[in-house]
Amino acid sequence: MSALLTSSVGSFPKPDYLLKARAKTSRGDLDAEGLRGFEEKATLDWLAFQETIGIDVPVDGEQYRGDMATYFAENVEGTVISGLVRSYGNRYYKKPIIVGELRRRGKISVDWFRFAQSGTAKPVKGMLTGPYTMMDWSFDEHYGSREEVALAFAKLLHDEARDLEAAGAKIIQVDEPALATRDDELPLIVKAVGRVTKGLEAKTILHTCYGNYDRIFGYFNRLPVDQLLLEMSNSGLDLLERFRREPLQKELSCGVIDVHSHVVETEGVVRDRIEKALGVFHPQKLWISPDCGLKTRSVEEAQGKLRAMVAGTQAVKRDHGIL
Amino acid sequence: MVLTTVVGHYPRIGDSHEEQKLRRTIARLDKGEVTEADLKEVEREVIRDVLREQTQSGIDVVTDGQITWYDSQSHIVRGFRGVQVDGLVRYFDTNTYYRQPVVKAAVEWNGPILADEWRFAQDNSSVPVKAVVTGPATLAALAKDEHYGTRRALAAAFAEALVPEVEALARRGAAQIQIDEPILARDPAELETVRETLGPLAAAKGRAELTLFTYFGDVAKIYPAVLALPADVIGLDLVEGAKTWDRIAKEGSDKPLVLGLVDARNTRSEDPSALAAQIRKLRGRVDLEHSYVSPSNGLEFLPRAKAREKLAILAKTAKLVEGGS
Repeated sequence: MSALLTSSVGSFPKPDYLLKARAKTSRGDLDAEGLRGFEEKATLDWLAFQETIGIDVPVDGEQYRGDMATYFAENVEGTVISGLVRSYGNRYYKKPIIVGELRRRGKISVDWFRFAQSGTAKPVKGMLTGPYTMMDWSFDEHYGSREEVALAFAKLLHDEARDLEAAGAKIIQVDEPALATRDDELPLIVKAVGRVTKGLEAKTILHTCYGNYDRIFGYFNRLPVDQLLLEMSNSGLDLLERFRREPLQKELSCGVIDVHSHVVETEGVVRDRIEKALGVFHPQKLWISPDCGLKTRSVEEAQGKLRAMVAGTQAVKRDHGIL
Repeated sequence: MVLTTVVGHYPRIGDSHEEQKLRRTIARLDKGEVTEADLKEVEREVIRDVLREQTQSGIDVVTDGQITWYDSQSHIVRGFRGVQVDGLVRYFDTNTYYRQPVVKAAVEWNGPILADEWRFAQDNSSVPVKAVVTGPATLAALAKDEHYGTRRALAAAFAEALVPEVEALARRGAAQIQIDEPILARDPAELETVRETLGPLAAAKGRAELTLFTYFGDVAKIYPAVLALPADVIGLDLVEGAKTWDRIAKEGSDKPLVLGLVDARNTRSEDPSALAAQIRKLRGRVDLEHSYVSPSNGLEFLPRAKAREKLAILAKTAKLVEGGS
């Protein structure tokens, strides 16, 4: 694969027709099979969009997921789903409650991975919500130990990763937005993520965002994955200077799109951000991505941002003679 | 025998269609379908709702649920000159995020931030409404400083800017003002900064009762020093800060306490009988007549229905303390 590959973190906004279909399902006016049709259409629409603008590593857009933690919890024994809890601004999620031993009922995301991969010749990422985040974003009424919960999730997510690999996933991403939550639990994250990725042949990526990177920086090179996908633009690319002094021994997927701003970045802004990253990272070690999932933006904003990201990347590649 | 109170924020939406009106209105505002005035009206409806929920549950001293606050940091600093509000940063070890204040120049109070909100809540409540202010040490710890150079100097500047805010609250009639300093439970080294910055606020409170509340951890190692801080009442998280309990039980307190015994970060329901028995053990060591039982911190980390359950647990606990032998 060539340098400066473009990709996305995972989620895209749901188009109006899918939002309406989900509302109908909530009211009992549309069954699961009917909803699935709309979810498939939205997935194919997003894959087609990514193909059109030339994204190198597409994602399925998580059109079938309500929330990244709730989705996995709903498909695991030992959990119930609580009412809505606020995350920030006007964003809420249904927080899982752990009420018994955690066990996978069966494959969780494999069917959707197969569906998405069948729609494109490019490698689609397999997407897992990481064991630490699943633990941290759940209420535990059963285990009474954060480590036990994280490792129980790690075990079942490893099985899921194996099944994704068997289904053809060449790239598996573990989302750990909770990574920077507690300094004293960083060793637990290394251990739990390590149990998920152990023995995988697929390229492994860990995504995190919106934490105090200064506190967790020392652990970046210890995370048992091939690539880190980091929110960088929301924090003004401050992290690049630290990477200059203390090099990352892995690939970096650099967030060049602020997903919490309605403002669509220009191609020029993206070019500047990539040029700054190229001052620190070799192009073959650098991927280009938004800061985080784009589901909080409108479809138009998300598409505008992705277009700017790809156009900016292609311009930089031309400037540097990168094929 | 013991009073009941809450700490600060409260779930602003619930699971029913009616309870989601604020979320819908904000989404419609984003699309340009409603105005800021429409949003303000809905916020006020929700404030009335959460005041009613607390009062009907039997809570003696309530809050407005911080329904209009985006978060505990940016809501305050938006009322200051010299501070910009920047990107999202995780709030302690919670799965919530705040917009980080960036201090660009000398911090100055720009006019009342909370006084009108507090007055509205008190006018719509049959019981006392506590005004809650994020403390200067925590504001300084969670901000990005590009002007003062040291965190202590920044905290002092925030304190100076909060003095007129506390005065404004007292002037509008707030009889109870709470300063939140969660940073103290996370970092005991902040004790001196809290002491230095609480002093000016205590001097500005007039006749109001001033509570210092710290949460997200224990203060066991600095318990006597915390009691000596210039506040009338000390609020303590006794769930994540369970280690503090032993010191209270052993040494008591010469000031009324807010006993944060109900877990505001887990859905598991406490047994009011067990809590009441625990509180009764403080008889003779703590002035329970003027002390409170409360959640360990704000209730917004829970779903609304669970928050209501926790309020009911508080009220039942207080009754059992009163009725117990």
